[in-house]
Amino acid sequence: MEDISREQSDSSSLLQMRGIVKQFPGVRALDGVDLDVRAGEVHCLLGQNGAGKSTLIKVLAGAHQPDTGEVLLGGEAVKLANPTAAMRQGIATIYQELDLVDGLSVAENIFLGHEQATFGFTRRGEMFAATRKLLARLGHGEIRPSTEVGRLSPAGKQVVSMARALSHEARLIVMDEPSAALAHDEVTNLFRIIRELTSQGVAVVYISHRLEEIREIGDRVTVLKDGRTVAVGLPARTTPTATVVSLMTGRNVEYVFPPRPTGGFGDEVLKVEDLTVPGVVSGVSFTVRAGEIVGLAGLVGSGRSEIMEAVYGARRATGKVTLNGRPVKLGDTSHSVRIGMGLAPEERKAQGLLLDQSVARNITLASLGRYSRFGWLNRKLENAEAERLVKALDIRPPDPNRPIKTLSGGNQQKAVLGRWLVEGRKLLLLDEPTRGVDVGARAELYALVRRLADEGVGVLLVSSEVPEVLGLADRVLVVREGRIVHEAPATELDEHHVLDLVMDATPSHG
Amino acid sequence: MTVGQDAGGPVPAARVRGMLARPEIGALIGALVVFVFFASLSEVFRSPAGIANWLDPASTLGIMAVAVAALMIGGEFDLSAGVMTGSTAIVTGLVATRLGWNIWLAIGVSLLFAVLVGFLNGYLVMRTGLPSFIITLGSFLMLQGLNLGVTKLLTGTVLIRGLADVPGYHSASMVFASTVSVFGGAFRVSVLWWIGLTLLAVYVLRRTSFGNWVFSVGGDVRAARNVGVPVVRTKITLFVTTAVAAWLVGTITILRLTSIQANSGIGQELIYIVAAVIGGCLLTGGYGSAAGATLGALIFGMVSQGIVYVGWDADWFKFFLGAMLLVAVLTNQFVRRYAEEAKR
Ligand SMILES: Nc1ncnc2c1ncn2[C@@H]1O[C@H](COP(=O)(O)OP(=O)(O)OP(=O)(O)O)[C@@H](O)[C@H]1O
Ligand SMILES: [Mg+2]
Repeated sequence: MEDISREQSDSSSLLQMRGIVKQFPGVRALDGVDLDVRAGEVHCLLGQNGAGKSTLIKVLAGAHQPDTGEVLLGGEAVKLANPTAAMRQGIATIYQELDLVDGLSVAENIFLGHEQATFGFTRRGEMFAATRKLLARLGHGEIRPSTEVGRLSPAGKQVVSMARALSHEARLIVMDEPSAALAHDEVTNLFRIIRELTSQGVAVVYISHRLEEIREIGDRVTVLKDGRTVAVGLPARTTPTATVVSLMTGRNVEYVFPPRPTGGFGDEVLKVEDLTVPGVVSGVSFTVRAGEIVGLAGLVGSGRSEIMEAVYGARRATGKVTLNGRPVKLGDTSHSVRIGMGLAPEERKAQGLLLDQSVARNITLASLGRYSRFGWLNRKLENAEAERLVKALDIRPPDPNRPIKTLSGGNQQKAVLGRWLVEGRKLLLLDEPTRGVDVGARAELYALVRRLADEGVGVLLVSSEVPEVLGLADRVLVVREGRIVHEAPATELDEHHVLDLVMDATPSHG
Repeated sequence: MTVGQDAGGPVPAARVRGMLARPEIGALIGALVVFVFFASLSEVFRSPAGIANWLDPASTLGIMAVAVAALMIGGEFDLSAGVMTGSTAIVTGLVATRLGWNIWLAIGVSLLFAVLVGFLNGYLVMRTGLPSFIITLGSFLMLQGLNLGVTKLLTGTVLIRGLADVPGYHSASMVFASTVSVFGGAFRVSVLWWIGLTLLAVYVLRRTSFGNWVFSVGGDVRAARNVGVPVVRTKITLFVTTAVAAWLVGTITILRLTSIQANSGIGQELIYIVAAVIGGCLLTGGYGSAAGATLGALIFGMVSQGIVYVGWDADWFKFFLGAMLLVAVLTNQFVRRYAEEAKR
C-alpha cells in the first residue's frame, strides 16, 4: 500500500526545483537541474567534483540566485532572495565549507542571526540551555556552550553546524558532505539523528562521495553531471554501484586499488623511536621504507594525526626521528620540508589556500624553489608541473590558470593535495587524502600515490576509511589511545578485524 | 602503564588556560606592571590628585579606543576618527560663536554632522567594497582640509574661541567638562563618561544580538551573511558609533578649553588603534575586547603622566608607548598559544 502512495510523486513533494540554471563567469555550473524531494525522505545528491551539487544547494539556501528556473515548496512557487528568506521557509543548510565564526562561542554561533533576544538583549540562559539540549541530542553533551568555536576540532565544528541547522525547526535540512570531517562512530550518530528527523517528517538532502553511506541512509538518489540532472529519484538501496558510478562519471571506473609492488622495499626512509606527544601519543616507534606505504588506522582522537604532525614537526614532541639516517629536528617544520618531508594535513582548507591565486600557483607553492634559479621563477617549468598534476588529479575544469576560489570544494582539495605530490619528496605524510574527493578521482589519486611510492618515496597514510587503508597501504599500524596496538601487512587484515582493534572490542574471530 | 591517566586531571588546568586566553589579558598584565612601576617610584603618582591627573588623558582616549575597538572587531578601520574629534568641536564652536545659537543646539547640530560622516564612511565602504583603510584615509584628509579652510575663512585665524560667553555654556560644561573632587583629587567628569561607555560596550558586545553580529561580520563575513546577519547595517552602525564617540570627545574638549584649534585631534587615530591593539584586538577583525581597549587607554594615561612624575624627559613617552604595544601584543600571543595547547 505504502508503495502506491509513494508513486504519486507530485502530490507528496515537499520541494521541487525545475530547470535551474546558474552561470558563473566562464562556467555554467547549473544547466537545467531538476530536483524533487518528498517530506520525510533522505534524498541523496550525487555527482563528481564540480558537478554542481554545492551550487544547487546554495540556490536552495538563498545564497545564490538562479538565472532561470523555479523553486516550489509544498506546491507553491517561492523566491529565496537571501539566506534569511530560505530559513523562513524552513530550509536549513549545512555548507561544505563550514560557516562558523571562530571568535564566537558555540551558543552564539548556533543562534547567530536568529538570536533569542528581548529588545536586542540576548537571553543567554535560554540560549545556553537550548544549546545544551541540541548538543546532547547530537550525542555531544561534552561540548560546552561557552567554548569559543575556534578551539574546536573539525569534527566538533561539524557538530556545531549540525546543531545550528537543528535549531531552526526546519522542514528541509540540506547537508553538504557532512560526514567528510566525521569519524566512523560519529557518522553512525549522524545517521541516527537523520532517521529521527525524517521520522518526524523532515526531509533531508544529503551529499556525500561515500557510496556506502548513500546505501545506508538514503531513500532516493538524484545524480548530477556537468550541471545537468542525469537521473532522478533512483532507489538508493537497490541501484547497482556500477550504474551510479557510470551515471556520475559517464564512464566505467574501476574502483580498485593499484597493485602492490612484487619486489621488496628499499632502505629505511623514516625511523621513529619512542615518539611522545604529552597527553596524546605515548612512546610510539615504527619505520617506513622507501617505496612502502604505511597506513595508520585508528579513531579520530586516537593520536594518529598527532603522530604524523609530530614527525613533521608541527607539534611539540619528544623522541627520536631520523630521515634517511639523518636526525630530524623535532618541532621545526621548515627543516622537515628542507630535508624532504611533505605533509598534506587533515584540515587542508586551513592550510593556506591562496584563494585569489591560480590553481597552478596553489599547487607549486610549496616547491617554488624547484622552479627558480637565483630567485627568478621559471614560469614555464612551474606551469608544466602544475598542468601535469591538474591532469593527474583530474581537477575540473582542467585549467591551471583559474583562480582557485572558483573551483568546487573537492577540486580545491585535490589542488592542495597536489602540492605535496610533486617530485623530490622522500617522505610523504598524507592525512585523509581522499576526503571530499569523488570516486573517479579517488582511483586516480591512489594510482598517483602508488606511482610515487614505486619511484622510491616512503608514504605514511592516515584515513578514517578502513577499506582505503587496507587497499592502499602495504603495512598497517593500528593506533589506539596514543599507542600502536597492532601491526600487520595489509593483506593479512580485514575490515572487521581492524574496526575491532581500533575500538578495543575483543576481536571476534570465527 | 597507567591506563586512562589522561581521563581526569587536566580539566581544571585547561579551564585556567581558557580563562587566560582572554583578549585583554596582555593589557591587564601591562596595566598592573605599569601602575606598580610608577607607583613605587613616585608618591604623587599614587595620590588621589595624581590618579585624577592620569585618568584625565586616559578618559578621552578611552572613549575613542572603545569605539575603535568595536569597529576593529567588526573588521574595519576608521582613520578619520582622530580628525573627527576636531571637526565636531569646530562645528559646535562655529555654530555657537558665529550664529550665536545656544550651545546645546550647537552640540546637537554637531551630533547630526557626526552621524552623517559616520554613515557616509560606512556606506562608502560597504557600497564600494574598498578597504575602509582607504575610504577613511580619504575622509580624514578631506576633513583635515575642511577644518583648516573653514576655520580660517570664518575667523581669520586657526582658533575658534569665546565659547564661555555663549548661552547655555554653564549647563553644558557641567555635563561634559566639570570636575568632581574625591579625596582631594579633582576628577574630570569625562572619566565617568569613559567608564560608562566601557561598561556599555562590554555589555553590548557580549550580551546582545548586535554584539554577536559585530564579531561575526569581522570574523567571517560570508558566514555571517549566510546565516542572515544584517552585515551592511551592522558595519554602518559601527562607523556611526565611532563618529559619535569622536563627537563626545570633541564636545568634552571644546567645553573644557572654551576654544578649539583647527588642527585638533589629528594624529590621534593611530593612538586609538594602538590602544585597541594593546587591548587584544586583531587587525584582521573578529577578535578583541572593549575592556582591553580601555585598559590600553589606561596604560597610555599612566605612562604619559608617570614619566613626568618620576622626572624623566617627556620625549621618552612615545618610546614607552611603543614598547608597551610590543610587550602587550607578545603577551597576548604567548598566552593565546599556551591556551591553544590546552585543547590539544
Ligand atoms: N563562485 C564561483 N565562480 C565561478 N565558478 C564557480 C563558482 N562556484 C562554483 N563554480 C564552478 O561551478 C561548478 C560547480 O561547482 P560546485 O561547487 O557546485 O561543485 P560540487 O558538485 O559541489 O563539487 P564537490 O564535490 O567538489 O564539492 C564548478 O565547475 C566550479 O568551478
Ligand atoms: Mg561541493
